[in-house]
This record gives sequence, C-alpha cells and structure tokens, in this order.
Amino acid sequence: MTVEDASPGPSGHAIPVDSVGASRDISASWPRTLKLAFRFSLREMRGGLSGFLIFITCIGLGVAAIGGVNSVARSITAGVAEEGQALLGGDIRFELNQRLATDAELAFLTGFGTLAESANMRSMARLEDGSDQTLVEAKAVDAAYPLYGDLVTEPALSREDLFGERNGIFGAAAPDLLFERLGIQPGARIKLGTATFELRAKLVTEPDAASDGFGFAPRLLLSLDGLTASGLVQPGSLVEHAYKIRLDGEPTEAQLKEIRDLASAEFPQAGWSIRTRLNAAPALSANIERFSQFLTLVGLTALVVGGVGVANAVRAYLESKRGVIATFKSLGASGGFVFAVYLIQMLVIAGIGIVVGLVLGALMPFAATAALASVIPVPAQVGIYPSALAMAALFGVLVTLAFALLPLGRARDVPATALFREMGFEAAALPRRVYVLGSAAIGAALAALAIWSAGDQRIATVFVGGVIFSFVVLRYVGVAVQWLARKSPRVRSVALRLAIGNIHRPGALTPSVVLSLGLGLTLLVTLALIDGNLRRQIAGTLPERAPNFFFVDIQSTEADDFAAFVAAEAPDGKVVRVPMLRGRIVELNGIDVQKVQVPPEGAWVLRGDRGITYAKRLPESSTLAAGQWWPEDYAGEPLVSFAAQEAGEIGLKIGDTVTVNVLGRDITAKIANLRNVEWESMSINFVMVFSPNTFAGAPHSWLATLTTPQASTADEVRLLNAVTRTFPAVTTVRVKDALDVVNRIVEQLGTAIRAAASVALIASVLVLSGALAAGNRARIHDAVVLKTLGATRKTLIAAFSLEYALIGLATAIFALFAGGVAAWYVVSQIMRLPSSFLPEVAVATVVAALVLTVGFGLAGTWRVLGHKAAPVLRNL
Amino acid sequence: MTGPVIELPVIELKDVSLTLGQGASAVHVLKGVSLEVAQGEATGIVGPSGSGKSTLLMVLAGLERVDAGTVRIAGKLLNGKSEDEVAAFRGRNVGIVFQSFHLIPNMTALENVAVPLELAGHADPFGVAARELAAVGLSERTTHYPGELSGGEQQRVAIARALAPEPRILIADEPTGNLDQATGRQIADLLFAKAKERGMTLVLVTHDPALATRCARQVSMRSGRIEAAPGTAHQLAVPA
Repeated sequence: MTVEDASPGPSGHAIPVDSVGASRDISASWPRTLKLAFRFSLREMRGGLSGFLIFITCIGLGVAAIGGVNSVARSITAGVAEEGQALLGGDIRFELNQRLATDAELAFLTGFGTLAESANMRSMARLEDGSDQTLVEAKAVDAAYPLYGDLVTEPALSREDLFGERNGIFGAAAPDLLFERLGIQPGARIKLGTATFELRAKLVTEPDAASDGFGFAPRLLLSLDGLTASGLVQPGSLVEHAYKIRLDGEPTEAQLKEIRDLASAEFPQAGWSIRTRLNAAPALSANIERFSQFLTLVGLTALVVGGVGVANAVRAYLESKRGVIATFKSLGASGGFVFAVYLIQMLVIAGIGIVVGLVLGALMPFAATAALASVIPVPAQVGIYPSALAMAALFGVLVTLAFALLPLGRARDVPATALFREMGFEAAALPRRVYVLGSAAIGAALAALAIWSAGDQRIATVFVGGVIFSFVVLRYVGVAVQWLARKSPRVRSVALRLAIGNIHRPGALTPSVVLSLGLGLTLLVTLALIDGNLRRQIAGTLPERAPNFFFVDIQSTEADDFAAFVAAEAPDGKVVRVPMLRGRIVELNGIDVQKVQVPPEGAWVLRGDRGITYAKRLPESSTLAAGQWWPEDYAGEPLVSFAAQEAGEIGLKIGDTVTVNVLGRDITAKIANLRNVEWESMSINFVMVFSPNTFAGAPHSWLATLTTPQASTADEVRLLNAVTRTFPAVTTVRVKDALDVVNRIVEQLGTAIRAAASVALIASVLVLSGALAAGNRARIHDAVVLKTLGATRKTLIAAFSLEYALIGLATAIFALFAGGVAAWYVVSQIMRLPSSFLPEVAVATVVAALVLTVGFGLAGTWRVLGHKAAPVLRNL
Repeated sequence: MTGPVIELPVIELKDVSLTLGQGASAVHVLKGVSLEVAQGEATGIVGPSGSGKSTLLMVLAGLERVDAGTVRIAGKLLNGKSEDEVAAFRGRNVGIVFQSFHLIPNMTALENVAVPLELAGHADPFGVAARELAAVGLSERTTHYPGELSGGEQQRVAIARALAPEPRILIADEPTGNLDQATGRQIADLLFAKAKERGMTLVLVTHDPALATRCARQVSMRSGRIEAAPGTAHQLAVPA
C-alpha cells in the first residue's frame, strides 16, 4: 500500500485518500454540496432569529410598501379595465367640443350599434329666489343613458320621472354635495340658465363619471332637452358633446381600433377625440401610475436604507460566527461551501421578511379600498396581484443579495487559523473580486429593475443616480470624518479625546453609522421638504394680483354689457377679457401627434382639448422669450405664440407649424414667437395665443377675470350673486373655491406622502438603532477596559455623546444638501409645483432625527456602561 | 490493517520559514524549521509562549502557508495547493483537537461528530458518528448540544469528531488546557489510547510537562526554531 491508497481504520469507514483536492471532494458535486449546505444552514439557524429582527423588519417593510402600493395601483387600474365599458359609458366614445355631430357623422356612428348622446358643461345653479348659487358640472343625457352600468338615484325613479318635463319644469338629480352647498332638500327647485329644474332625486352612482375628467364642482344630471331649455348652449359655449356607442356582442380590441381608424379616415376634419373602453379614464390611470411610481421609489428607498441594515446585521452575525466558520474549514469545508451555508441562511431570513412583507402588501388593497373610495371615482378591483407582489419580492431578494454578498464574501475567507489566534475579519479588506463583482452586478440589476419597472424612466434613472451618488458620497464623508479625527490636534478634554479616538480607531463604526445615518437623514429631509412644500401650497396665500373670479361662457353679444356690469359692481376692480375657444393639437409640423414621441412632462399639452385664444398684443402676464409679436393689423398666414417652456418640452421652435382642430376645422399656424408664461400668477394664460385673423368669424365665447384686491368674502359673495342673477348663462368660478378643491387633492397627496415617510422613518430608525446596537456590543469591551483604568461612567457617556454628535453633524450637513436637492427635484420637476428650501423644516427634521437616534444610541450605551468588568474580562 | 508498512515519514517539514504580518509589524515566527515524524509516532511540542509551536501545528494541519521550505503531509506536498484543496485534504487526513473544543453550538454532539464525514461525502456519517461517540463513552449524549455538556464531555465530542474520518494524523493544541486536572488526565488518556489503538500519528502542543512526557518524543521550540535535537523516533504502534 502507498500513501495514495485508502487506509481503512479499525471501524472500516475510512475515506479514500487519493490526492490533495480529491475527486470526491464535495465541491465536485454541486447538487450534493447545496443539499449539504442547506442542511448545515438549518442546523445553524436553530439558534433562533433574535439577531435578525431588524433585518427581517427592514426587508418586510420595504417589500410591503412596494408590493402594497403596486397592488393598490393595480387594483384601481384593474377596476378601470374591468369597468371600462361602464366608466366610458360605452365601448367607444367620441367627444366633440363646442359643436354637435353633423348628420353624416351621426349616421356613421349609429351604424355601429346603440348610440347614447350626452353634453357636459360647467354652469351656475342658483336658487329660484336668486339668494344663493353654486358652480355645477352639468351633464345632460338622453334616454339611452347609461349604455353600461347602472344609474343609481335615491329614490330610484324611471328616466321619465327623473328628468321629464312637468308643467314646464324639467327634472334633475344631484349628489349630496349640491344639496349641502345650496342648503336644500330633494324636491327643491333650482335655476340653470333660464330654465327651472326640480331636483327629484339624490344622485348616488353615476357609472361613467370617471371618464368625464376632473370634477371641479358637484354634478347636476339632467336631460338633453332640459339643457336645451336652459339656453346655455350657444355658439361658442364651452360644451363637450359625447357620443357613446354600445356595440353588438363583445368587440375585440382589434375591432375597436378598426372603428377608430375608420372614423379618423372618414372624417379627418371632425376633430373628435376617440376613446375606447380599454382606455376609459386615461387621466386617472396616468395619475395613479405616476403616484404609485413615486410611492414605489419611496418604498425602494426605504428598502435600500433597510439594505444597509441588512449589511450591518449580516456582518454582525458573521462576526459572531467566525469561530464556527473556522471550525468548518478546519474540518475540511471549502470556502465556497462556507459561503453557500451562510448565503442560504441569509436568503431564508430574507425570505421570512419578504413573506411578511408580501402578506402586508397583499392586504393593502383591501384596506385601501375604503380609504380611497371617496377620492377615486372607480371601484377598485380588490384582490391579490401576483405580479405586483412578485416584483416587490424580487426587489427584496436583490436588495438582500446586493448588501449581504460583501460580508458573506469576507466570511468565506475567514481562515481556520482564527481558531488558534485572535484574527479573522479584516474589516477594511474587500472580499475576493468575484464577490465584489457579484455585488456590483446585483446592484446593477436592482437599478435596472427599478428603471425598467418605472413608468417614467427618466425619473427612475435620476432616482437611481441619486442613490448611487449618496452611497459614494457618504462613503467619502465617512472617510473624511475619520481622516479629520485622525488629524485633529490633541485636545485636553478626556471625553473629547476618547470621542475622536473612537471615530478613527481601526474597526470604528464610523463608516457604517455615517452610511445608515446619512441615508436615513437624507430620505427624511427629502420627504419632510416635499411635505412642507405641499403644506405651504395648501396654506399659501394667493399670489399678489391674482384675480378673484374667472367668468366663462360670456357670449359675444353680451360681452360688453357684462364688462360694464362687473365694472359697475366692483368699481375698484380690474376686468380683463379675452376670446376663448377650445382646440386640440392634432399635428406638429404636419405629423400626427399620436405618432410624435413627447417626454412625459410635455404630454399634457397634447392630451385632450386646450383653451386657446387670439390677441393683437402680447398678453399682460407674459414676456416674449424669442421671436417677434405680430403687428396689430396683421393679416397674413395664421401665426401662433407658444408658451416657451412647453414648446421646449415638446421640442417646438420658432418656424414650426402646429395644427389645431377648432370647431371641427383643422387650422395650421406657424410659431411666430415663444412667450414666458407665469402660470403661478393665476391670471389668464394660454399655451397658445393665435394671431387675430386666424379665427376671424368663428363663433366663440369670452373669458373674463375680475381682480379686486380689496374685496372681502362678503363682497365676493354679493358680486357672485349679482352676476349670476343678471347673466345666468355665465359660469363664475371663484378662485378661492377652485383653490380649495385643488388644495383638498394636494392634501390627500400629502397624506399618502406622510404614510410613505413613516415607512421610511421606521426603516431608518431601525437601521440606525441596529448599527448602534452593533456598536454597543463592540463597546462593552472598550468600556470595561477603560473603567478598569479609572474612567468614570460620566466621562464615557460624554465621550460617546460627543462621538455621535460629531458623526451626526457631518452627516446632517450632507443630508441637508442632498435632501434639499432631491426634494427640489420631486416638487418642481415631478409635481410641477413651486419649490423652495424650507430651512426650518429641514433643520428641525435633522435635529429631531439626530436627537432620536443619538438618544437610542446613548440609552443602549448607558446600559453598556453598567456592565460589570469581571465577567467581560474573564472572556477577553 | 493489512498492507505494507509505510516507509516514508507521515510529516516531513524541510527548512520551513514563516513570517506573519507586514512591514513594521512583521514577526518571523518560524525560522528554518525541519521536522520528520513517522507514522504512529506521538510527538509533544513544547516551548514558551510565542516560540512558534501553535504556528508549527497550523503548518502541519495545512492551515498556514509557509513562505519558504516544503511541507509534505501523508506523502503529499502541500506547498502551492489552493486553500480549498488543502481543506479537503485536511478533512480526510488530519484530525484536530482544540483547547477550546470549538464545537458548533447549534449542532448536537452527533451532528458535530458527523460534520467532517458529511463534508467528505461519507455514505453513513451519522452511523459512524454514533460509533465514535460510543467509543469515547458518550453514547448517551448524542442528542445533547454542546451547551448541555460539561467541559470534559465537550472535549470528548471534539476527540470523536477528530477521529471520525480516520485521519492519519491527529493534532492537538493544548487539549487539556481548559479542563480541571482530573478531567484533563482522563482526556489525555483517551487521546493517547485512541491514537495508539488506531495507529495514528499524534502531535500535540502543550505547556503541561506531565502531558509532554507522555509523548515518545518531545520537540522543544524557542524563538521560531526547534531547539532540542529530535528525540528517538518511537512508534506508538506500527500497524501489522
């Protein structure tokens, strides 16, 4: 026998010793290695999960936030899709502005199935005695309404009983809000235009409300005959006529598209906007998508901040397992096997967090339905959304791997010699390249998934860039803090000297605390500033010289009388009036807008109808940004002045052409100049102002504003009453009321952001307390040694306070800067609201967060300092 | 055991040097150490703290790479082999008993003993582990966790674990250092008896002169060198 031969021992179970790195090495058989690693992992985890509470909570919270937000969003979009026909009011819907369909168009539409017609306009509903009035969103329907879904009123009445004419008085229905506003009960009579209506029932459910867009005011549902009787529909009135068709059978997507294409081909000049049941409420869907994306990014930030907690927890755990790892190696385990054993454990633990998060996330649509019912006019399709949850789980796994891989890679290299002498992890050393590259690749996959899954990939890219920037900069902040501490001159104070020493000594917690604290503080500052800006928006005073009223639908024939009347009623006020038409951009430089790629921020300009006007002179609240204004007597080819920012966003420049469809006619105008528009001034502003000759002879109404800064609320109410009595067809919008409506929406937005902030806050505090707890473990040793050398508890606590304060100060400066930039981006670039840095909010957030976290740290430290020296020293 | 008597030394170190640390903190731990140990020989390595005896043990176990010289264990040259190759080799050829036992706290006594067998892909790791535990007198304690065992029992489990893969070489680092005198004696008896019974080469590091004198050969180290001339090679047992 040679040494290469097997040498069975007395019990006959020896293993062949064929060579170094024998072929029977377990690493040669992956499935068996994995099975064994899994078995070892489960044995290792018998010790319980106590050290992983923060790990599990961080992953669970992040996954719950992402899974929940996306599940809720999908439940709403699924609701929109499921109820598409009811929400749209048909299978396909044609909308015309300010004009009825022609006979040829009607004949074309009725050829496809059952047709229902409706008309929408804003107007003033007033009490019969004229003592009170309110803005209403009037919707007139025909006998076929609704083609899908149920119109629910209280009491339930037949169409004839609800809307029919009785003794010259038409019926109508309205929601509670209108009854409340006017202080009336069902059965009461109101006036709309020149006609009187009896409110015969309360409107409970209007199936196609969502497809009519954003409701400014309460609905008033009446019949088309009733609307005609009101006299409100005049040439140029801002009426939207909708023609909804119920097709026979279940039309496919292709069939709907076919009808759509046919309509565009047969009536290229119609200027109708066509929607199918597959896209019933585009504005709502777009808003849901945008908001869920924002919340997903907040959830992802919480998850990434939690990832730092994961890294800390994994590092601390593996540190405690150093002896076990070395033992495995001394017994013949390869580094790869050790890596597999602990990787499996981390994945199992992350799996627990992910499952908890998924359960919470899956429940969120159920909880949110009730809360959102009043906000979103669509019944959410409550259920489990596997794809939303799968994405959240994938984020959870990737974050775990991205943050756990480096400490795991380091653990792989713990030498078996650690059992013989006190050495093991070298904290600063990077693991093998494969782990560094693996971690980077997973980080890249995480970034790619965040960008790929986002609706607005530009915003997601900025977010990913911001996170990477924060990591890199915080790493250098940590290095810089340690460098400064190392280079600082010797100070007399023992506490300060200890604190500075703690910051830079080998194995100091500074890098991990700076990263955890920095990310957490940045996120909090960002969310606090967003919230602060939104609150300011709500509480904000009206801009100076903002008008008090907007008057819409002033007929050309009464425009002069109206101006004179208002001037007499408000002698100190200033009345401005401009012609007002509605038009939709159909082509840019001769290319159909449907085929033009436009970035999301400029898309609203091309979506649906825009108010347009014409003017001889540059409007008051605008300044010329480029090009020349046309002469007052200009009579050449149609010209248009475009708002400069919006032109930039959709890529238009001077000399380009814009084709708008107005009153069923396509009009092409050349861009003569670009204007800077102060939208915030709230005065009359249009994206497009045309040269006066463009619409010569076209019927249109007028839009007017009244600015009377001295007017009290009572004055405004009196004026509103007077205008409505005298000009019943004119719609009056009080700017303060309109702002209230907007503010309510912004407030709801703020609530959701605060909810997201609380998730982020919990994650940050958990991560920080985890980092500090890990620090405290390390500190027991130091504290005991220092105490045996004569340090008092007071000196030590002062030293630790100073250490945290110094690190906190450095990260706070970073957080104020980075959070300020991030909040500015979200508020001004995504929400498109005026943004300002609110130092008091930012500083208060940072101080509160620091007090909280340093408080946590010191509370733990105080306990640490109470440790008796002897037991610790015995184990040194 | 049937087979030819091994003629080559099972441990063969030639001019081994090792420096730990770098730059100013570098310590020249082993300075040209040469050592040969025959199969079945019991060798005690003694010397003051810092003399390099534990490091020498690590070199024998393939845990530490040397800077110069050659290390041949069980006929295999370990120089230049990767960490994983050496780990697999060690799992089969070298059993280690530590001063602090180093049992895995979350595994039962049986599982602890089975670990090296499982790692080596043995067909019946738990059967062998149970027999080994019985052999060290712990058949009643197989399901106990290390925390539930006394120090002496833990070291017995560690010995069973070291013996389980039937290694050629058994090395022990202060195996009685953490035990009271009586228990220490029992553990030493067990270690010597098992090594002799199985014809294993035993190398142990100890501060305890009584334990050292039980070895057939003593090697004294000082300042990284072997001080005493190698004693007479004395085989505890030569397999017949």
